[in-house]
Amino acid sequence: MSEHEREELMDVAPGAPHDSLMSETLSYIVGLGLALLLTGVSFWVASTSSIWGPGVAMGLVVLAIAQMGVHLVFFLHITSGPDNTNNVLALAFGVLIVFLVMIGTIWIMGHMNVNMGPMPELTNLQMQRG
Amino acid sequence: MFGRLTWEAIPLTEPIPLITSLVVILAIGAAVVWVTVKGWWPYLWNEYITSTDHKRIGIMYFVLGLVMLIRGFADAIMMRAQQMFAVGASQGYLPPEHYNQIFTAHGTIMIFFVAMPLVISFMNFVVPLQLGVRDVAFPTMNNVSFWLTASGVLLTNLSLFIGEYARTGWLGFPPLSEQQFSPGVGVDYYLVALQIAGVGTVLTAVNFVTTILKTRAPGMSYLRMPVFCWTTLAANLLILAAFPVLTATYAMLMLDRYLGFHFFTNDGGGNSMLYMNLIWVWGHPEVYILILPAFGIYSEVVSTFSGKPLFGYRSMVFATLAICIISFCVWLHHFFTMGAGADVNAIFGIASMIIAVPTGVKIFNWLFTMYGGRVRFNVPMYWTIGFMLTFVIGGLTGVLLAMPPVDFLVHNSLFLIAHFHQVIIGGVVFAIMAGYTYWFPKAFGFTLDERLGKAIFWCWFIGFHLAFMPLYVLGFWGGTRRLQHIADPTWQPWLDVAFVGALLIGLGIVLTVVQLLYSIKTRDRRLDTTGDPWDGRTLEWLTLSPPPHFNFAVLPDVHGEEAYWTRKQTALREEKLIEEPDYKAIEMPVNTPTGVIVAFFASLCGFALIWYIWWLAIVGLVGAFAVLVWYAWRDEHEHIIPADEVAQLERERRRIRKEQIQTWPRPA
Amino acid sequence: MTGVETPAVGLTHGASEDTGLGHRGPESKSIVVPYGFWLFVLSDMVLFSALFATYATLAHATDGGPASNELFDRTLVAIETIALLLSSFVCGLAMIAARRRNLIWTQIWLLVTGLLGAVFLGIELYEFAMMIGEGAGPQRSAFLSAFFTLVGCHGAHVTAGLLWIGTMMAQFWAKGFQPHIMRRMMCLSIFWHALDIIWVAIFTIVYLMGTLP
Repeated sequence: MSEHEREELMDVAPGAPHDSLMSETLSYIVGLGLALLLTGVSFWVASTSSIWGPGVAMGLVVLAIAQMGVHLVFFLHITSGPDNTNNVLALAFGVLIVFLVMIGTIWIMGHMNVNMGPMPELTNLQMQRG
Repeated sequence: MFGRLTWEAIPLTEPIPLITSLVVILAIGAAVVWVTVKGWWPYLWNEYITSTDHKRIGIMYFVLGLVMLIRGFADAIMMRAQQMFAVGASQGYLPPEHYNQIFTAHGTIMIFFVAMPLVISFMNFVVPLQLGVRDVAFPTMNNVSFWLTASGVLLTNLSLFIGEYARTGWLGFPPLSEQQFSPGVGVDYYLVALQIAGVGTVLTAVNFVTTILKTRAPGMSYLRMPVFCWTTLAANLLILAAFPVLTATYAMLMLDRYLGFHFFTNDGGGNSMLYMNLIWVWGHPEVYILILPAFGIYSEVVSTFSGKPLFGYRSMVFATLAICIISFCVWLHHFFTMGAGADVNAIFGIASMIIAVPTGVKIFNWLFTMYGGRVRFNVPMYWTIGFMLTFVIGGLTGVLLAMPPVDFLVHNSLFLIAHFHQVIIGGVVFAIMAGYTYWFPKAFGFTLDERLGKAIFWCWFIGFHLAFMPLYVLGFWGGTRRLQHIADPTWQPWLDVAFVGALLIGLGIVLTVVQLLYSIKTRDRRLDTTGDPWDGRTLEWLTLSPPPHFNFAVLPDVHGEEAYWTRKQTALREEKLIEEPDYKAIEMPVNTPTGVIVAFFASLCGFALIWYIWWLAIVGLVGAFAVLVWYAWRDEHEHIIPADEVAQLERERRRIRKEQIQTWPRPA
Repeated sequence: MTGVETPAVGLTHGASEDTGLGHRGPESKSIVVPYGFWLFVLSDMVLFSALFATYATLAHATDGGPASNELFDRTLVAIETIALLLSSFVCGLAMIAARRRNLIWTQIWLLVTGLLGAVFLGIELYEFAMMIGEGAGPQRSAFLSAFFTLVGCHGAHVTAGLLWIGTMMAQFWAKGFQPHIMRRMMCLSIFWHALDIIWVAIFTIVYLMGTLP
């Protein structure tokens, strides 16, 4: 089997870069640039009044996810190629669990806070004391 | 200098812990003396303690789990006795402060230091052999994982001699587990020991997921892996996903206790319901971590002893992965009554019922495997059939509990206790006994005595039902869990029956030890000379018993499902083995004391944290780090087994198998 | 390609460079080790998700004490963020130099990575000290417990990373670019980048969302 064919079959470790010095360095430079841009936009979105209030939080989440993606692609070299399948699947599983834990907890605890908050009498007592 | 450790920590005024401590110390002392006198330390050190061989590590896990089973069962029989005696006017023999420690220790030890190590022992021993490879992906880390678990065991058991244990139940719910209401060392013993053991468990998961996904014999694609490997993969993915949540939650409780934080306290804005939520995010996947490998063991046993390939391999794989994912979507069913409301309860209730479906698929697949096969009723098959009867009913009570309206009546009642013991004993313990009998000859070169094996089964099967069926009834009658005293005298007969059941199980455990000793003594009558005593279908039966250190002289080429079965049938049909391979030298990882030394420092640090001996805690931490750096500096990672030695061992195996070809039954 | 031609066959030594479908046997150590570490890093992310979930639940449990919009300084956060991001970039450069076996540049970039990480840590410790000085320490309220633990846990990971960078530099100097040293460098690189990913979530959810006008 030729060099080229063997290389195509090689599986790649997560974080392992894929090619030449120039393109490797370029990958990091582009990643840095995009990340700096996204960070700057995040800070701006969080301080401006020109965006509708409730949309700000959503915007920040989207920008954060985008920046995490930049890190994954440009710094950790996670791609969608067949040599990266295991890495991507592991990442997908991790993301699923993170999602379930965070959203599940927030959903459940939100309901708990509504249903199981201190009774009015108790709150009254606390306010009298505190 | 010694923090809060004083001489009062030794339970001189409490007869039960005192006598137990003395007996245990004497027993350990006697064992140490015996080993020293016999000169076995070098052997133990080289062949087991520092071993990076997955087979040896598997055996060590099993021994650890078995010893802890005795401790956990002792707690159980004490509880059963107390409940039987303390009815009506009588107060029994265990005051509440002591009883509470016993049920806490019972649960903690059984889940973390019996079930987990025993299940992990099989994963360790069997998976690399079934995958056709030489060891797990990270053999040294495997050794470290074992010793960290052992460190957790040590610390937990130390609480019997020095200090006390937690009184909070095995999950340590706040606010009771907070400093304000549990100011002693008990909860700290509980938390520190489990944190240390938890690190070991996560490392095990990294090891096995990597091994299964990245190191398999040539030709073994995913859908040619044995089902036990699939279930091990799913269980370890769950460990990776769930244990970090446990670590975080325990860390937060430790911060509350040690540094006055307010995560779960009553004051300062703390929210103890948050603890419940997080701990069960871990707790539910945990039980699937235990049951999935058990299902895998049953799959192997059923297909081997029915003489048929497993029915519905792909649906088994799919069901396993479905259970894996769904198990992360049901955790709220452990606290339906805490007040999340009807819509939240409904979603989690439905998910909890849905998870019964893939389990049902598995049961049907096992039944269809047996149907049309020539079933051989060896001991592992007894355990499997016992499992099917027991676990199905336990699962049904689980579906009942999954309905919030029902759960509101029986949450935390004896009904719940009966349910989870039924699925854990019927599911996990029976599988461990089946696997133990099934793979024992592979590990040691001779089978266990069958008659005693059957007696052990009947003790457990009958004993379990006697011990727990009454509890379903008592649960419906309003009996809550963890009762130190029973007010209603009409419950007496049921509690008596339950106690008898527990005694019977105890007999089963005693017989297990007897069986082991007897089988060792009479092993020459039951030698496994060929390495394939059960006419197996998976690759571990290709090797001799016990396998050589390197497992396979040449990694087997896998051409279909049931890699070994096809190869065996071909050899029998053609009346010859495959061509003799080109023998190469084999590199195997060296032994290492890293694990046992890291665990030593971890134990030191843990003990110091529990007793507030801060300088010692730092020593322990620095020591552990230093050992890791020292390990990182070594240059010799592998040792070489010369090709001649490999050839000699393999030729011996081939000679034996060539002889067997004449006597084994021909393929149909 | 795989490099060394060993006479002996280990589990993953001299093994195949397969695409994970198992057709050619076990994969080599240079793939197996970083993959295992990647799994560990993902489990660490789950740990942080539990801390994030806790923070989200307790974010308003201030017990009458100081809240997020009174405590956080966006300028400091911006500097921390840039420092950590640059250190991630520089770590990448160190990896590039290491793959080319250039000892001088590997050490220089690793040192800069560590220094930038130390800057990050210094600012964070300063911030913590200031807050504790004002009576807004972790014992004040559940919100503050959650804040200090989430951000502090990340800081503890950064500290561990700095220790690792130091050890890595020592190992490169003492042992050169042997395969097992390179594998550790790969793992360090994965770790360091993952820390920056977590920080993105932290500065967004904790600092920015906590100080919205």
